[in-house]
Amino acid sequence: MISDLFSVTVLVGILASGIRLATPYLYAAIGETFSQRSGVLNLGVEGQMLLGAFAAFYVTLTTGNLWLGLMTAMLVGALMGLAMAYVTVNLQAQQGISGIGFYLFGLGMSDLLFQKLMGTVETVKGFPKIHIPGLSDIPGIGEIFFSQNILVYGAYLLVPIAWFVLNKTTLGLKIRSVGENPDAADSLGVNVGRIRYFTIILGGILSGVAGASLSIALLNVFQQNMTSGQGFIAVALVYFGAWRPTGVLGGALLFSLINALQLWVQVLNIPVPSEIAVMMPYVLTILVLVTSVSKVRAPSALSKPFEREN
Amino acid sequence: MTESNKLPSGRSRIDSLEMRGITKRFPGVLANYKVDFDVKSGEVHALLGVNGAGKSTLMKILYGLYHPDEGEILLNGKPVTISSPKDSIHLGIGMIHQHFMLVQTLTVAENVALGLPSSRGALTDLDRVSKRILELADIYNLKIDPSAYIWQLSVGQQQRVEIIKALYRGAALLILDEPTAVLTPQEVDELFVIMRQMVKDGHALIFISHKLHEVVEISHRVTVLRDGRKIGTRLTSETTKQDLANWMVGREVGFVPDRGKVEIGEIRLKLERVVCGSDRGTPGLRGVSLDVHSGEILGVAGVSGNGQRELAETITGLRKVTGGKVFLEGKEITNLAPGEITDRMLSYIPEERMRDGMIKDFTVAENMILREHHKLPYSRYGFLNLRGISKHADDLIKQFRVKTPSQETHAKNLSGGNIQKVVLAREISRNPHVIIAAQPTRGLDIGATEYVREQLLVERRKGAAIMLISEDLDEILALSDRIAVIYEGQIMDIVPRATATPEKLGLLMAGVHP
Amino acid sequence: MKKFAWLLTLVLALSLVLSACGAGATPTPAPVEKFRVAVVMPSAINDLAFSQSMYDALVRVQKDMGGPDKFEIVYSENMFVVDDAAAAIRDYATKGYDLVIAHGSQYGSSLQEIAPDFPDTSFAWGTTVDTFGLPNVFAYEAASQEGGYVNGVLAAALTNTDVIGVIGPIETGDAKLYVDGFKAGVLSAKPGAQVNVNYIGSFSDTALAAEAATTHIAAGADILTGTAQMVVGAIGKAEEANVLWFGTQSNQSSLAPKIVVASQVYHWEVVLKQMIDLIQGGTLGGQSFTANLANGGEVIEVNPDSNVFDYAKPLAEDTVKGIIDGSIKITLP
Ligand SMILES: Nc1ncnc2c1ncn2[C@@H]1O[C@H](COP(=O)(O)OP(=O)(O)OP(=O)(O)O)[C@@H](O)[C@H]1O
Ligand SMILES: [Mg+2]
Repeated sequence: MISDLFSVTVLVGILASGIRLATPYLYAAIGETFSQRSGVLNLGVEGQMLLGAFAAFYVTLTTGNLWLGLMTAMLVGALMGLAMAYVTVNLQAQQGISGIGFYLFGLGMSDLLFQKLMGTVETVKGFPKIHIPGLSDIPGIGEIFFSQNILVYGAYLLVPIAWFVLNKTTLGLKIRSVGENPDAADSLGVNVGRIRYFTIILGGILSGVAGASLSIALLNVFQQNMTSGQGFIAVALVYFGAWRPTGVLGGALLFSLINALQLWVQVLNIPVPSEIAVMMPYVLTILVLVTSVSKVRAPSALSKPFEREN
Repeated sequence: MTESNKLPSGRSRIDSLEMRGITKRFPGVLANYKVDFDVKSGEVHALLGVNGAGKSTLMKILYGLYHPDEGEILLNGKPVTISSPKDSIHLGIGMIHQHFMLVQTLTVAENVALGLPSSRGALTDLDRVSKRILELADIYNLKIDPSAYIWQLSVGQQQRVEIIKALYRGAALLILDEPTAVLTPQEVDELFVIMRQMVKDGHALIFISHKLHEVVEISHRVTVLRDGRKIGTRLTSETTKQDLANWMVGREVGFVPDRGKVEIGEIRLKLERVVCGSDRGTPGLRGVSLDVHSGEILGVAGVSGNGQRELAETITGLRKVTGGKVFLEGKEITNLAPGEITDRMLSYIPEERMRDGMIKDFTVAENMILREHHKLPYSRYGFLNLRGISKHADDLIKQFRVKTPSQETHAKNLSGGNIQKVVLAREISRNPHVIIAAQPTRGLDIGATEYVREQLLVERRKGAAIMLISEDLDEILALSDRIAVIYEGQIMDIVPRATATPEKLGLLMAGVHP
Repeated sequence: MKKFAWLLTLVLALSLVLSACGAGATPTPAPVEKFRVAVVMPSAINDLAFSQSMYDALVRVQKDMGGPDKFEIVYSENMFVVDDAAAAIRDYATKGYDLVIAHGSQYGSSLQEIAPDFPDTSFAWGTTVDTFGLPNVFAYEAASQEGGYVNGVLAAALTNTDVIGVIGPIETGDAKLYVDGFKAGVLSAKPGAQVNVNYIGSFSDTALAAEAATTHIAAGADILTGTAQMVVGAIGKAEEANVLWFGTQSNQSSLAPKIVVASQVYHWEVVLKQMIDLIQGGTLGGQSFTANLANGGEVIEVNPDSNVFDYAKPLAEDTVKGIIDGSIKITLP
């Protein structure tokens, strides 16, 4: 039976599934990468995703306009980011705890709105698969790479963009310095608070898109708590990826591909207990993490509020 | 007037800057009290005072890092508000900080470019910045690799980056807060050449140093602070080193430590052909062999970045030894855990005390027991004994004259020199058998320097084996029994003090056998 | 300032969560004969699955008993954190509800601790048969293998590829009963058919459930079924691929009217009514109940909008009859 795993159908299936499953992780984790690189630990990602997912879904359901839905999710994420930024930058709150606060807020709020505004699970027509004549029809490759929806492509496009912004722009330089040594950045006239506002809000927007990618692109339903901890896994992926967009991509793909593989292992009736199968993505990802020696440390100022001593 | 109003960089010059009646209070400390201070275009105004006198505080107020409780700042006669470094930078004020303001994980070029507008708009222009850095480095004779990461650099090199950073920005008024503490005499000379040129061009410079000969050499006027108050301002030409010393401390200070005669005992520390890597991936030590005896101070002289850090770190277990062996009191300690080595009564005064020697957010008392916290009388059965800790802290604060509002003050809130004292007090007071001391008097005022040197001699008399790593040849010559010169990870030679001269050591430090 | 900030966040967040959870709670002081029921559920009352089945049943009981004045319902939903659920259960017991229902097998050990502290309160725990030997705990479960079997027989009759995919949460309890019954049903009608089962390890991971459906379809399945609330993600994928779907726990036809053939629906009121009668007669627990096809606790609702309604309806009825009269015996692995 194990030999069944090595057929073209299965391989194509795993790759296509893995690419899709990684999509929300990528948005959320790249957003988190930005905020962590600037020294802010945002544990509210899950809450932002949930509210984003709801906002996108509800607006799409009522207006029929997917782009409006997506933009609403971004707006909702931005607003949550703004609130988070106020609490962490101005009030200098303990970031871990306030992040959990924002998670609970997003969880509760999305649920409440769902109850009041919808009342039952419904479906929408989400972003369609993009059909690229010619390319989409190539057997295998076409299904994996050329017939996904636009938000999937967006997630992968985001990786090089994030890399570029962080490493090649003056903004990226400021972000990195603020997360590493805010005193030094401050002494050179960099506005530490403003940079952190920017990254937290950006993180919020991307988390909102992550939620939208579930509710109006990949699944096209909204259900309470539908993100199911993905926001927290996204935070973990930032650590896995050593705070680099490419590392995050690697982690997200690894985790998702193993998850897709795991689904196939069960479907093909390969005699592995289901409890073991569903643990595989977690176990293998941790295994890769501990065996690959990486010298990269967390940004030195991560989760430390900045205050000019006075 | 319009022509001469500009500096070569194109910036307008600051004809005069005046701070009036500046008062600054911190919890339990009056850091500045009604201080008047001014500086003019075309002069170096030195600011003197013992550790904790309030020099850095006054300068941080000028740079916008602190806000004064009282007082005003006038620029070219007009009052200005400086509420952040952004404002001061905008006004043409630059600062070289006592504690480096460098981002360790960024390269030299990135640190220099940070916060500056780029010629490529939103994109960084690091190539251009690097080129300009190399040009500046060439003009001013400051060797620096723009693509190196800060964490790979020695303290001296980091200081050079700070200087380049300031030069690159071309401030009209530059504050130099102890820039020479970590430089070699040659580098200090180079810096002075730069400073003189800047003065000639019309810059205004404020210079802080504990080395009085430097102050005498470079400054036009000197202002002395004591306990946050201004004692007075004089023309440098009308004072002497000795005058300044007495004026600053408020009592007579001597300069020559008494070495006394000590019996040299058994070998306490032995290195056999030790090899290790460096942070840059290049070889750090290339077969170093050394002995240090009980009752002996072995000086290790050398230009910074020639393996001093690696030497100290291999002995203390902080860096992996890849070849050779290290013995402590006859037992091999090669690659043992740092904690185990510490427990064998080896003390270590690291060069970068702010980074490797203390925990900034711990209190003074806590920092003073970092090494011995697991032992009596500081803890028992795993519980801390607060009374023992507190008494220990009180004793050390008195002995080492640490200027702190209380032993509960966080270490980061002490003045630069007093932070050093906390580390020194901790390491010296535990009756160590072996002491590795890297730049132990760096940043200390003359009184404190005297005291620390005396303490090292006391420990030597008690039989400790001391390795003194220093770039300050005066210090090495004043304290050492023998002097080893390190160059590119190798010991060039070990010479007895009697036959050592600055010239001979200087040649060895440059890698030349005389 | 700093303390205040996170406290504020926390209070804000918690208040919202709580207000959301207790959305239906209106604890008015009870007149004497009013029967008061509290229920704690792992997901939402409108999850189109496990929790909704209980909530809908309670509402039907309320109607039968004369409306909110005679029968009060309060609930805490989305109690996927067991500790939160335990706190809610204790809270309801303290407030003197006549019956406190812990609707989720994961709440068992909490209930075992709490129930002895409130000997005058009746508790119900499902789905299980275990009352812990306590005199004030009822147990209830559904014979979901029966409905699963019926769905399985229909699926076997409708498949062309002879490959059928099943999606479950965790291989235990109600889900396992349903899945095993479904499998038995398929194989009884078509011994050569292949039933692929996929437990995704989560009750809430909609995305993974969707991907599981995609995987089944890629493996050749032309009929899918699944249990627990996260399958809403899978139903969408089935619809996209035009693959038939069988539901359980609640009627899922509304989500995809074209492809849902039939749903097994729980009518817990059958079980609830027996408990209420006993409580009113003074027996607070110690018994276990099963909802099944015979007692009307389970109903197979065939979707009238389905293309195969005319074919499926009689077949479903026959199979149900067979199970009730005992001519069909379900053997589970
Ligand atoms: N952020 C702060 N919080 C509390 N106290 C401070 C702070 N900064 C400085 N102080 C205190 O103010 C006094 C003056 O410190 P300052 O750093 O100005 O001294 P300094 O003259 O620069 O000394 P050094 O030569 O050691 O660098 C010291 O007693 C110090 O403890
Ligand atoms: Mg200072």
